[in-house]
Amino acid sequence: MKRRYFDTHLLWMLVCIVLVSSCKEEEYALPTPKSGLQNDVIKRTLGPNVVGLDIEFAYAMAILPDEGKLSSARVEASIPGAAGTRLENNAFYTNGSGADVPVQIGEPGTTEGSVSQVTFNVDTSAATLRYYYIIPEEARGKEVSFKFSATSSNGQTVSYSMGPYKVTNMDIVRLLPVVNNGDCYISIADMAVYDETEAAANADKIDLVYLYRASPAAFAHALVSPAADAEYLPGVTLPAGVNKSTRLRKAWNLQDFHLAQLQFGVYIDEVDFEKLDLSESPNYALGLKAEAGTWVETADGKYRAYIFVNSVNNGGQSAVISIKRLQMF
Amino acid sequence: MKNMTFRRYIKLIPALLVILFVGVRCSDDLPIDEDGLLITNRGECYVSSFQLLGADFQTVLFPGSGADPNPEIDTVAQTIHVDVNFGTDLKNVYPQFTLVTDAKLDPKITGFVDMSDLANPRQWTVISGNRKVRKTYTVIVNVRQ
Repeated sequence: MKRRYFDTHLLWMLVCIVLVSSCKEEEYALPTPKSGLQNDVIKRTLGPNVVGLDIEFAYAMAILPDEGKLSSARVEASIPGAAGTRLENNAFYTNGSGADVPVQIGEPGTTEGSVSQVTFNVDTSAATLRYYYIIPEEARGKEVSFKFSATSSNGQTVSYSMGPYKVTNMDIVRLLPVVNNGDCYISIADMAVYDETEAAANADKIDLVYLYRASPAAFAHALVSPAADAEYLPGVTLPAGVNKSTRLRKAWNLQDFHLAQLQFGVYIDEVDFEKLDLSESPNYALGLKAEAGTWVETADGKYRAYIFVNSVNNGGQSAVISIKRLQMF
Repeated sequence: MKNMTFRRYIKLIPALLVILFVGVRCSDDLPIDEDGLLITNRGECYVSSFQLLGADFQTVLFPGSGADPNPEIDTVAQTIHVDVNFGTDLKNVYPQFTLVTDAKLDPKITGFVDMSDLANPRQWTVISGNRKVRKTYTVIVNVRQ
């Protein structure tokens, strides 16, 4: 009997020894760099790709110093970018404060048609260049893709394909100042703000009126349809023909990154407008605060939009707004 | 030999514990109603607080004067008087009731509610935890200038 217990204990001790010995840490070894010219790309911008905004990439390339140096970098877009499309002639490193510090690696790059390129004029074997593609009107609703390539002094060439990326049909306009009794007539169709004279000339395009009223306190900064009840347009005499009824729904905590340009990684996309149902919404929105917004649908249903309030100024009876819009038909 | 018998009983202890646990666990189950909620012994039946949110999920309650802008809840008359801000979109408001423990609300609030017909205030019934007491509250909205 004793012998059997002795054997069992011995077996458990052996199991423990095996477990302890198998947990030994493996020693770290520096990875061996790959031979030949290497490259990689990351897309730095997020969210929908809107005409007029950019798509930013970071293109990294490297070769072992004893094999050669970097000679040139090139990006070809499937649709030529708008003015401002460029491959930067700077590589960046992040300093101790977290700031990106540029290091020039060549003459300013050139962009001709769909091709942007930079030729290195410094002795370097590794660099990460940034490519900014300004989305052109021609790309609206289409897909765009990119081919990044690099060459080294030993004659090697590498390439990396990115995309395709869908370009949205949405439009945006940022930072439109609106002033009570001044530039207060908002056109979603034109994505513009008009004064009374301009509104009279574009009466069929005026969707909203911006108002500021200190009393009642709940009124404050407001967006009101020309066709709203008179109690929501106190003291306002509308230009002739300005009479549309635009539906609105207030929103809070929806700081679209494109419009707000704040730290929030939130994006309104086409699907948000497509699913929007404002059929039971009023034609006014009172009490708007900074960083608030309103969903909007024009009277004819042609446009749905989101108006973001970037800032308000009670003393100046004014506000700054940004608009993101989708044409529905 | 005595030692062997003791070990045999030791082995039975975990099995006994499991049986004991299952027995205790199942001995006091309360019935469940059609919503999957426990029917308890509580007979209390009232609204303890009320909030009204707008389409932007922000309060639409009129701030009022003094430090008590809360709605006036009358548990005897079973009414809730709510002052809301001028311009509130009453077709799309989101009422939030806080009820006494174990009570539930009928009809359920699953989204925005239309409370724009001020002449015909909306009503909700509070049902006690034992499901034997029902009290219907009327929510009376007043738009403040």
